[in-house]
Amino acid sequence: MTGRRPQPARRPAARRPSPGRRPAPQNKRGNKLGNPGRRLHAALMILSLVSVLMVGRLFQVQGFEASSYASVAQNERLRTVTVPANRGVILDRDGDVLARSVEARTVTADPTLIADPVAYAHLLASKLNLDETELAAKLGERPRRYVILAHNIDPEQWRDIAATVDPGTGKPISGIFAEVSSQRVYPADTLAANVLGFLNASGAAGGGIEREFDELLSGKDGQQTYERSSSGGKIATAGIRGSEPVSGQDLQLTIDRDIQYSAQQAIAAKVRETKAESGTVIVQDIRTGEILAMATAPTFDPNNPGKGSDENRGNRAVSQIYEPGSITKALTMSALIEQGVVTPRSEFTVPGELRRSGQVLNDSDPHGTERWTLAGILAKSSNIGTVLATDRISSQLLFDYLKKFGIAEPSGLGFPGESRGLLPKLDSWTGTTRYTLPFGQGFALNTVQAASIYQTIGNGGVRIAPTLVKSWTDKDGVVHTPAAPAVTPVVSAATATTVGKMLEQVTGPGGTAPHVQIAGYRVAGKTGTAQFADSECKCYRGYTASFAGFAPADDPRIVVSVTLQKPVNGHYGGMLGGPVFVEVMTFALRTLGIRPTGAKPARLPLDW
Amino acid sequence: MTLLRPAPRVPAARSALDPITALPSRGSSRLDPVLVVAVLLLCAAGSVLVYSATKPRLQAAGSDPESLILRHLVSIALGLALAGALAGSDYRRLRMYTPPVYLVAVGGLALVFSPLGATVNGSHSWIFVGGFSAQPVEFAKLALCLGLALLLAERREGTGVFSHHEVFLAVGLAAIPVGLVALQPDLGSIMVLVAVLAGVLVVAAVPARWIVGLAVTALLGAFVAVQANLLSEYQVDRFAAFANPALDPDGVGYNANQARIAIGSGRLTGTGLFHGTQTGGQFVPEQHTDFIFTVAGEETGFLGAGTLVVLFALLVWRGALIARRAPDLFGALVATAVVCWFGFQVFENVGMTLGLMPITGLPLPFVSYGGTAMLANLAAVGLLLNIHAASGSSRAWRPIRREL
Repeated sequence: MTGRRPQPARRPAARRPSPGRRPAPQNKRGNKLGNPGRRLHAALMILSLVSVLMVGRLFQVQGFEASSYASVAQNERLRTVTVPANRGVILDRDGDVLARSVEARTVTADPTLIADPVAYAHLLASKLNLDETELAAKLGERPRRYVILAHNIDPEQWRDIAATVDPGTGKPISGIFAEVSSQRVYPADTLAANVLGFLNASGAAGGGIEREFDELLSGKDGQQTYERSSSGGKIATAGIRGSEPVSGQDLQLTIDRDIQYSAQQAIAAKVRETKAESGTVIVQDIRTGEILAMATAPTFDPNNPGKGSDENRGNRAVSQIYEPGSITKALTMSALIEQGVVTPRSEFTVPGELRRSGQVLNDSDPHGTERWTLAGILAKSSNIGTVLATDRISSQLLFDYLKKFGIAEPSGLGFPGESRGLLPKLDSWTGTTRYTLPFGQGFALNTVQAASIYQTIGNGGVRIAPTLVKSWTDKDGVVHTPAAPAVTPVVSAATATTVGKMLEQVTGPGGTAPHVQIAGYRVAGKTGTAQFADSECKCYRGYTASFAGFAPADDPRIVVSVTLQKPVNGHYGGMLGGPVFVEVMTFALRTLGIRPTGAKPARLPLDW
Repeated sequence: MTLLRPAPRVPAARSALDPITALPSRGSSRLDPVLVVAVLLLCAAGSVLVYSATKPRLQAAGSDPESLILRHLVSIALGLALAGALAGSDYRRLRMYTPPVYLVAVGGLALVFSPLGATVNGSHSWIFVGGFSAQPVEFAKLALCLGLALLLAERREGTGVFSHHEVFLAVGLAAIPVGLVALQPDLGSIMVLVAVLAGVLVVAAVPARWIVGLAVTALLGAFVAVQANLLSEYQVDRFAAFANPALDPDGVGYNANQARIAIGSGRLTGTGLFHGTQTGGQFVPEQHTDFIFTVAGEETGFLGAGTLVVLFALLVWRGALIARRAPDLFGALVATAVVCWFGFQVFENVGMTLGLMPITGLPLPFVSYGGTAMLANLAAVGLLLNIHAASGSSRAWRPIRREL
């Protein structure tokens, strides 16, 4: 297309007339000279080829491949932003807010619009709580057009940032933008933190209720697609497509904020006092199975989850399993009485030690041969007496009762990180298994399961699976309730009442926890002191001290189960768990307005 | 010094056998209308494209959206005046001007490394004097065109003989600005200077084996430069991105990708001037300077961008014709050099936006924003017109035939 002229093949014979010059000098040194005209011509041919090449390539890009480039271009101009759905509020049983979301801003920048990153960094670093050098580097990341500078900036703070004047132009800064986001706020800081869980830095649920009910709480994020203008803003005329966000649902827990607070304070103080590794308290409504408080110490602040350790961010009440020790005896007694093989007054001759399956069993306090009733055996927490009584039922029955009381069964909470515990299958029992299980060795449970045993006994022998969620409210205001918890009759009401009375002897004179007293109320409970099976050394190291029980004993309403792991100062369940039980139970009874029955404690003969 | 020898008077012996010289402009027309129209159209198109590319950016920054286009128009006006002055001056004087022009241009390149120099976009290629900025390399290109032509024409017209001395001298003459530009560094301009040298050597009928030898040496030199890390990292990256455009599309390959996306989205007829969303969205960096072709591609489509290429082809073709019809070897070589300069620079610039060539920082002649380049380009057009005008006179240059 360029300059291709017909060029005659013949060569003009004309020679350059150069007077005074030698006529044919070219080959003096054997240098063959080229033909300038032909070379120019060849160059022109090359130039035309190049032009054809360029136009051809242009046609390829704009013709054949255009649609792919055009769609890339469209996608590039279209910026789709997620419009975050409002995450649902988490409320306690009375409607007090435990977790809510507030509007925040994610501040971003388009580095190509920022002429002087260093100056901007200097202006904005303090307002964004960022390091000036790092901010300058981010602002200078050309040719990128989108960098995130900071999350969770308060809208007020953003207005201040947006109004910053660029000293170069004397106008408000350009190239800095904000996206609407939301920030999770836990108004009561550590309150019920381990139940609620937290949201991690990227806004994803990091555990607890937040994670278990993430789908329900988070709703559905909307999307907004708009065409970017040159300044990075939205083009008003460009059709904005997208979907509206659907707000998350509000979730109401069974937790009572005040009882939770009391439980957290009490267990935290006891953990500090005893230098225990950790401690857990469960408060459960006997009649409904609802968990009123689920406290663990040490805990963390969900407003700043990064500062907590993994261990403290989890929920030990469901995740930590341990050998419960003597608090299991309430379960064993229920089974024996239900089977009709004993009564509280059944008389046992309890030796100081007992040889079974080649092992010598002891009680924690050495004693000679005693004449104790079944009630006495429980009140004094005699392992030997419990084993002698359990001789009257088969291994199969013992196993069945453990299962029925929920040992090694899912709690029904569905809580993230829950461990259901360990119970050896009947066919894998070794010689001593059937002798140790009745007093709480050889299987493991979590604190919720421990509380559940006492809930069953307190509720006339009917086990109601524990629940943490009361209801949720959808976007139309309709209140939904979760499926009713599983209700399982485990023992008869008569048996339950009988065992309740026996448990009252524990807190009475001659029992292991006579100091567990709440003025005006009858209290049923059981101490537990077990060796702590340390997974690190695969040996027993330290103790699990626990106390579980209910009140009022004559009209059971509330279960409190306290567990302390590896206390250093003291290790008896009654001594360590008892006071926490009393403090939390007292507070719960008052908070729930449960009046003292005024009845005198039942008294059963402990020996004969 | 031989360079200063006055032009030899060559008696008229115009070849009627040369079909090209036998064509129209036989002494009558002083201007080449095709060339003039092509250049004016390119300048006009460039102005519109520069305006379209700068307006949204300036608006976004809160500046006067017309500030850059006004400067651009002033550059064009000054350039046209300079071209007119050069076109109208006495052809015989061009040889006399050449040595000082060359020396001044080399001096300008050296000035970049003085306190007046400044770095823009990784290349230390600017000088700032009293509020004005200039890129000396643009004038160095022009000066090299003149200098090489003078050197080879003097020798050849003097003795009619080429020995390795002449070739070495020519290479040396080019090596000085190339070396200075390499220090900046400005790879694109080095490539242009080398293209000018190659074009002049070829057309000056330097023996083929010399040319092959030089080409091999140049390739070896480039290889050594890469091996010895003489290129900066970003230059190597650009070549890597050229070889593999998918490489890091947000980083090294960003320019190349964005350029092609912009051009591709223009399709056949474009999005309309001032309506290019990729242009308005400033996805392509340096869009009013080195990547101005992408604006044409997006906003005027294949028809507009293709027309630009055709206009450049016309320009180069007319330049080549002027070279053929030049009154003497000097004129022929100057025109050849200018043609090689424009031809290569256009190919490199358009080629890089289309993924045919690696990315370098070269403006598109007559179209890109940039005052120094505009002045130098139009001055070169002035030279072409001057040579064209002289070709109508009694003097004529005819190719020397190789003796068999």
